Amino acid sequence: MRRGVFWGIVMVFLLAVAVAHADITLTNASGESITFTEEELGTIAASGEKPFEGITITVTVNQGGPKGGISGPLYEWRDAWEQITGAKLNIVEIPYAEHYPKVMTDLMTGTGQYDGFFIGSDWMGELVAGEYIIPIDDYMKDPRFPKWDPDSLPPSIRTLYTWGDKWYGPLNDCDGQILYYRKDILTNPDYRAKFEEQYGYEYNIPPKTWDELYDISEFFNGWDWNNDGEPDSGIVMHLKVGAQGMYHYASLSAPFCILPGEKVDKYHNVYWFDPEDMTPLINSEGHVKALEFQLKLQKTGPDAQVAWSLGEAWDYFLRGKAVFTFSWGDVGSLVQDETRSKIKGKLGCSILPGSYEVYDRSQGKFVKFDTPNVWGNTTGGSWHGVISALSKHPEVVYHLLAFHATNKISLWNVQRGWTGVDPGARFHFLPPYGTASLDDYVANGFNPEDAKEYLKAYYDNFFAPNIAPYLRIPGGNEYWVALDRHLSEAYTGQVSAKEALDRVAKDWEDITNRYGREEQLKVYQESIGYGK
Amino acid sequence: MKRKRIKYFFLFPSIFWVLAFTIFPLVYSLGLTLFRVRLGKPARFVGLANFARILSDYKMWNSLRITLVYVAVTVTLQVILGLLIALLFHQEIKGKSLFRALLILPIFCTPVAVGYLGLTVFYEEGGPINSILMSFFGTKIPWLSNPFWAWVAILLLDIWQWTPFCFLVILAGLQSLPEEIYDAAYLDSSSEWEIFRKITFPMVQPVIVIVLLLRLIESFKIFDVVYSLTGGGPGTSTEVYSLFTYRTGLKFFDFGYASVLGYLLLAMVSVAVNIFFRRIREVYG
Repeated sequence: MRRGVFWGIVMVFLLAVAVAHADITLTNASGESITFTEEELGTIAASGEKPFEGITITVTVNQGGPKGGISGPLYEWRDAWEQITGAKLNIVEIPYAEHYPKVMTDLMTGTGQYDGFFIGSDWMGELVAGEYIIPIDDYMKDPRFPKWDPDSLPPSIRTLYTWGDKWYGPLNDCDGQILYYRKDILTNPDYRAKFEEQYGYEYNIPPKTWDELYDISEFFNGWDWNNDGEPDSGIVMHLKVGAQGMYHYASLSAPFCILPGEKVDKYHNVYWFDPEDMTPLINSEGHVKALEFQLKLQKTGPDAQVAWSLGEAWDYFLRGKAVFTFSWGDVGSLVQDETRSKIKGKLGCSILPGSYEVYDRSQGKFVKFDTPNVWGNTTGGSWHGVISALSKHPEVVYHLLAFHATNKISLWNVQRGWTGVDPGARFHFLPPYGTASLDDYVANGFNPEDAKEYLKAYYDNFFAPNIAPYLRIPGGNEYWVALDRHLSEAYTGQVSAKEALDRVAKDWEDITNRYGREEQLKVYQESIGYGK
Repeated sequence: MKRKRIKYFFLFPSIFWVLAFTIFPLVYSLGLTLFRVRLGKPARFVGLANFARILSDYKMWNSLRITLVYVAVTVTLQVILGLLIALLFHQEIKGKSLFRALLILPIFCTPVAVGYLGLTVFYEEGGPINSILMSFFGTKIPWLSNPFWAWVAILLLDIWQWTPFCFLVILAGLQSLPEEIYDAAYLDSSSEWEIFRKITFPMVQPVIVIVLLLRLIESFKIFDVVYSLTGGGPGTSTEVYSLFTYRTGLKFFDFGYASVLGYLLLAMVSVAVNIFFRRIREVYG
C-alpha cells in the first residue's frame, strides 16, 4: 500500500514536471499554430499564472488593419498573447503621416495615453534625447520574458534599435531598399542582343552601376516588352509627396556623395551634415549630381509615378509593367502573392548599384574609383516597438514586443508579405548566411528561386562593408519632410535639382537653428559614430 | 430678485463656453506668438521674431499665394454657376424636385471623403476620367502628377461640392422675389436679359453677397480636400495656407510661429469680411 502511495507521488511529481516543461502551442488569427519551448516563451507565459490579468496596454501602429503592414502581426497574434499573459492589448492605428505628431504630442504633453509605439527608427533621436522611451536591457536579461536573439542582427540594423550601448526596442522590421528586376526579361537573349546593338555593350545582370541601370531602363521604356498589348516602363518609383518618396532619393544618392573611409570624419562616411558644424551637405555637388541622375531616370518610368504612393508603384511592378523598381522587402514577398502579382518566379534582386564617381569634399571634385562605390542602406522606418516612459506597465509592453521578436514569430511574419515585416536577422536568411530553411519559405508560398534571390540581396545589403548613415536626430521627421517636399518640387519640374536641394539646405539650417545647433551637433555626432 | 439671479444661471454655460473655448485660446495663442515654444521644453521669449519670420518665409508666401488664387477662382465660379443653375431651376422644368434633390447631394459629403473619392476619379492609370478621355480622344491628363492639373482637380472637386450650396441659397432668394414686379416688368419689356439685369439681379444681390461672404470665409480655410487628395503636392504646388499652418504647428510643433500664421489668417479673413460688410452697408444702408 505504502509502495503504491510512493509511486503515486512519484508519478504525480513527474507529471507536474512534464506539464511545467511542456511545450506551448499557440494559434494565431489565421488558424496557424506555432509551438514554443518554455525558454522561448519565458516563464511568465509558461507558468500559466497569467500575472498580467486585468491589465490593458495600448500601443500605436501605422494604420493598416488586421492584414496590413506592421499592424497586421499585432492583430494576428493578439489573442494568443492575451491568452498566455492575461493582459489585454488595445491596438491604436494611426495613418502614417499622423503617427509621429500623435506620438510626440502624447509624450511631450505628458498625457501618457499610450504604453508603447511602433516607431520609425528616424524618430529615435527625438525620443531618446527627450527621455520619452525607456531602455530594455534589463528586461532582455530576464528569463521571465520571451527570448529573442539580438546577436542575430547585423550591425547596420542593430544601430537602429539602439542608442549608444542601450537597446530600446526588440527586433521587428528591418528596412532597407534593394533593387528588384525582371530576371526573365533581362535574360531574354533577343532583348540583350538589341540592347547591345543600340548601346554598344552587353549589360550585367544585375546592373553594377546606376548609369548602367539607366541605360537598361531607358532601353525598355515605352514599348511592349511583356506582350500585353500596352507599352511598358523601364523603372517605377513611388514619388508622391508625403508618401515616403524621399527614401528613394536617399538610397539612390549614397554612392554619388558618400566617400568611403576607415572612420567617420569630416569628409568620410558622412551624408547628411558636416559632422563638425552641422552645415547641410544636401546641396553639395555629389547630391546635386545624384538628384539630376534621378530626374533623368524618372523619365524612364510612368509619368504618374510622381503622384504614386508605395501601393500604386508596387502594384505597377507586380503587374509586370516595369523592369526595375527599388524598394523595401515588402516587394519581394508581395511578388509571391499571385492574386496581386504576375511575376512570381521571374524576380531578380540585388543590392543597389553603385557609381564609379563620387564627390570628394576634401578635394572639391569628383574622384573616380576602379570598382563601383556601393553602399548598403537601412533606408526606411525599420518599424519596431518601444516602451513609453509614461507607461504604468512597461513590463507588459516589453513582453508583447519580445513575444513578437521571438525567432519563430519573427520568421512567420517575414515569410508573409502582408505583414510588412522584412528580413534582416540571420535566422531569416538561408544557409550559408543564416539558419532559415528554403523549404519553410516554399511552404509559405515563395518560389524557391525568388526566395534565394530576395534573401541573398537583403543579406548583401545589410551586411555590406559600407552602410549609408541614417538620420535620427531630434527634428528628424522635420528634416525628412523638408527633403520630401523639395524633392517633389524637382520631380514635378517646378524647380531644378540644384534649386530643390538649395531649398532643402535652407530649411535644414532653419530647423537646426531652431533646435539649437550645438545640441543637434552633439546628437548627430553620437548618432553617426563620429570619430569612430 | 429670484428672476434676476436665474438669468445668470442660464447665461453661465454660454459665457463659460465663450471664455473657455474662444477667448482663452485666442489670448493664449496671442501669447504664444511671442515665444519659441516646443512642448516638453521651456518656452523662450523671442519678442516679435515670429512675426518677422513671416517676411522671409518663402514657404508661407507660396502657400498664401496658392490660397488667394484658390479663393478667387473657386468662389467666383461657385457663385456664378450657383446663380445660373438657380435661374434655371427658377423656371418651370420637368422633374425639378428630383434634379434639385440630386444636385444638392454633394453638400452632405464629408470633404475628406470627397478628397479620397477624387483619388479614385482622377487616378491617372485607368481611372474613370482618364479612361473616358483615352477612349474618345486617345489622351489622358496627368491629374495628380502635374502641378497645374493637380490644382484643377482640387478646384473641380471643390466647385462640385459647394456650387450646390450657392445654388440652393440663391434659389431661395429668387423664389422670395415678389411676382407683381415681374408682371409689371413684362408689360414694359419682353427681353429676359433686361429683366434679369434690371430687376432680378439687383433684387437678389444681397443674397449673392451673403453667399459670396460665406464661401469666401470657408474657402480661406480649405484643408480637407487638399490634405486627402494631393497632400499639398506635387511638390508644394497645392500646399494651401491652412495645410502649411497645420504642418507648422501640429507636425513640427513650432507653436509660436503657427500661432502667428493663425493670426495672419484671422486678419485676412476679417479684412475681407469687413470690406464686404462696409459695401453692404453703403449699398443697402
